[in-house]
Amino acid sequence: MSTAADPVLDLPFDVQPDPEEYLSAAMRWHFSPETGSPFWLERADSLGFDPLTDIRSWADLARFPNLANELRFARVEDLIPRGYGERPDVVGIYESGGTTGAPKRIVLLRDWLDKLLGWSSAQLDGHGVPKDVNWLIVAPNGPHMVGDVIKQQTAHRGGLSFTVDLDPRWVKKLIGDGKAAEAGAYAEHIVDQVAFALETQDIGVLMCTPPVLERIARRDDLAKLVNEKVRAINWVGTQMDPDTRHLYRTEVFPNAVLYSGYGSTMILGNASERHGLTDDDPCIYDPYSPYMSFGAVDPKTGETVEYGQRGQVVMHHVSKSLLMPNNLERDYGTRLPGLPGQIGDSVADIAPVQEFDNETVIEGVY
Amino acid sequence: MDDLIQLDALGPSGAFRARKRLTVTDVTGVPVAELSIVPKLFVTRAMKALHGAESLPAEERIARLARAGRIFADDVIDGLTFDQYERTVARVSGVPLSVVRDATAAIVDSAEKSGWAAYRAQPVGAVGDWRSDETRSGSAVWTRKGSVFAVHAAGNHPGPHSLWLEALALGYRIAVRPSRREPFTPHRLVTALRAAGFGEDQVVLLPTDHDAADEILALADLGLVYGGDEVVKKYSGSTVLPQGPGRSKILVTADADWRDHLDTIVDSISHQGGVACINATTVLVDGDPGPLAEAIAERLATIPSLPPEDEKAVLAVQPVESARAIERFLLARAAGTKAWLGGDGVVEELGDGSAVLRPAVHQLDRHDAEQASVELPFPCVWVAPWSPEAGVAPLRGSLVLTVFTEDDRLVDRLLDEPSISNVYRGDHPTYWIRPGVPHDGYLGEFLMRTKTVIRD
Repeated sequence: MSTAADPVLDLPFDVQPDPEEYLSAAMRWHFSPETGSPFWLERADSLGFDPLTDIRSWADLARFPNLANELRFARVEDLIPRGYGERPDVVGIYESGGTTGAPKRIVLLRDWLDKLLGWSSAQLDGHGVPKDVNWLIVAPNGPHMVGDVIKQQTAHRGGLSFTVDLDPRWVKKLIGDGKAAEAGAYAEHIVDQVAFALETQDIGVLMCTPPVLERIARRDDLAKLVNEKVRAINWVGTQMDPDTRHLYRTEVFPNAVLYSGYGSTMILGNASERHGLTDDDPCIYDPYSPYMSFGAVDPKTGETVEYGQRGQVVMHHVSKSLLMPNNLERDYGTRLPGLPGQIGDSVADIAPVQEFDNETVIEGVY
Repeated sequence: MDDLIQLDALGPSGAFRARKRLTVTDVTGVPVAELSIVPKLFVTRAMKALHGAESLPAEERIARLARAGRIFADDVIDGLTFDQYERTVARVSGVPLSVVRDATAAIVDSAEKSGWAAYRAQPVGAVGDWRSDETRSGSAVWTRKGSVFAVHAAGNHPGPHSLWLEALALGYRIAVRPSRREPFTPHRLVTALRAAGFGEDQVVLLPTDHDAADEILALADLGLVYGGDEVVKKYSGSTVLPQGPGRSKILVTADADWRDHLDTIVDSISHQGGVACINATTVLVDGDPGPLAEAIAERLATIPSLPPEDEKAVLAVQPVESARAIERFLLARAAGTKAWLGGDGVVEELGDGSAVLRPAVHQLDRHDAEQASVELPFPCVWVAPWSPEAGVAPLRGSLVLTVFTEDDRLVDRLLDEPSISNVYRGDHPTYWIRPGVPHDGYLGEFLMRTKTVIRD
């Protein structure tokens, strides 16, 4: 028994809702006892404002507390809006943040995934990523979201998925324990598996992280196979500097479209880099507005930084399936104006905090 | 900043101007050049190209080295004449112009002689080529341990760049990671080598950040790095040869009078602005060190404070900030010693954002005072008492030891001490060096090995 939602919450992926109308409908949905999730309904009284009347503009989302940490222990059943009824179509439960403490969990519902796939597939068309080809997805699978979503995306675009699992928590644990050699051996193990798939199967798109791509590039036989077979390379997970990107495009993998993705499990999605960027442009990500929106803040004051300045990335997700405003990400990025009609900002050149190494040598002559 | 000198990476497909560039400033903080910083992927590919290349025959590479030396000295490279290049190095590194000139002349000399110099390390029992007649009856042949040699260059002084030319002479393909402080010398040298006919897969220049720097060493067969004690500890016994602190010393025994050798002593301390590992860090004297310390201080006090590009400059210059940091470090470490010079500080600001590091002379009351090993990049000397009972112990860990003594047995013992690399007896300053004699053992001892060949 599903409670009827405002139709503006159920528009097809390529129909832009009126932002304000959409926002009020979303507030009504998430904060009505019949349709909202137990998670939000339990917290409604302690917000200090009434979401139904006080959240009028997208800027008002800043009034919400950042509740992402509570997702570390919340029952996942409580995260599903009651409006989905007794048998919500749950695609999966996914985790984030497991390397820095207890993981945060989130629920991916079918209707949001369909919308996301429609939108992100259109983004891939913009990059010239071919349809009806197989993908080799070298990415984390469960409890992480990315592997599953890309598998769904591959099917959506008419291809078959080959997967090589990559456990980022284990890699970070190894590196944190100073076991760089073991981390390297693990990466080689990943690449060995990539090799089997590349050698024997029709792979049209390769998705992997920059470190894995570097190891593939290092092996002449694999680099040759990529150049022969792969038409698009999608890198995700960490940053890639512009010179490396340029080298891939001009020297190493000149036959493939190279593009990146950036997103977060906490907003149930990702954006591809803006298409048409040159190697000298910053690597810009425009979110799926209005459902996902980005900002960048000064980590000390929480104030939004000026356009062109770097700040800590803040993300919001407002859909029928989830409300998660003010999620402060670990990454830093450059704040840029969004595309026309877009809610919030775009961000570019995502990177971890520490960007420069400081050389101070005192004793000695060298 | 279009007028800045562009120092591109020199990779296996030619010059590469990276988007990531580091601004190289002079000692007053004025930008002078932009150094392209290449990513790991560039390094990986460059190292692969070096491994895939073939070395030139010995005569050809030796001829090209000599030609490169002339190009280095005569041509306009990176838009700079030789003279402009030397001035730029002085302005950027703060090393006095006259010292830069000596060092660059040494590089040219070394390029000229490196074929001969590199083969000085060949064991007398070995031949350089298996085709020699000697192998018909069986002979050792001097062969490379590997093919690709990586150098993490130092930025204190242009001089060390003459060393790796020997590896090129021995047939190694070479990757040089320039110092970010003074990338001009290796850039000019690699450019000259290429102009002289060394292929782009024979010698590359890879300016990188730390992450990719390790990759250069990891992907080479053998490597050379410069650094402090930690660097030495990290790489000892590995495929990387560390060039550590010099801690060069002078010893005056009771049968010699330091008054006769004061010129050599003072020169050893202050020549080259005190920036080199072959400058004397410690002077030990049998007897009261006070008068000697006083005499050294008196001499060093008269050196003028001048900008590095001044023809008469003797002392090294640094940006005020780093000069002050060195001064604070010195004052903290020198606590409890007797200062003859520089006790109140060593920084003299030139008023343009740069500062001269003036000499410091401190007297220690024991030969084993911990300060004796504190080596700093300016004329900073510790004068300490020594006695025959103290023996060789206080002289350990010296790159160069100049000794004034009549005692042959002592010279024997100093030569036998493994941690003393070079022993100079008499009026030879610690900075004396020339092609064909080892600086810290022959590089060839590290790069080469012998194999027996016998043939029909």
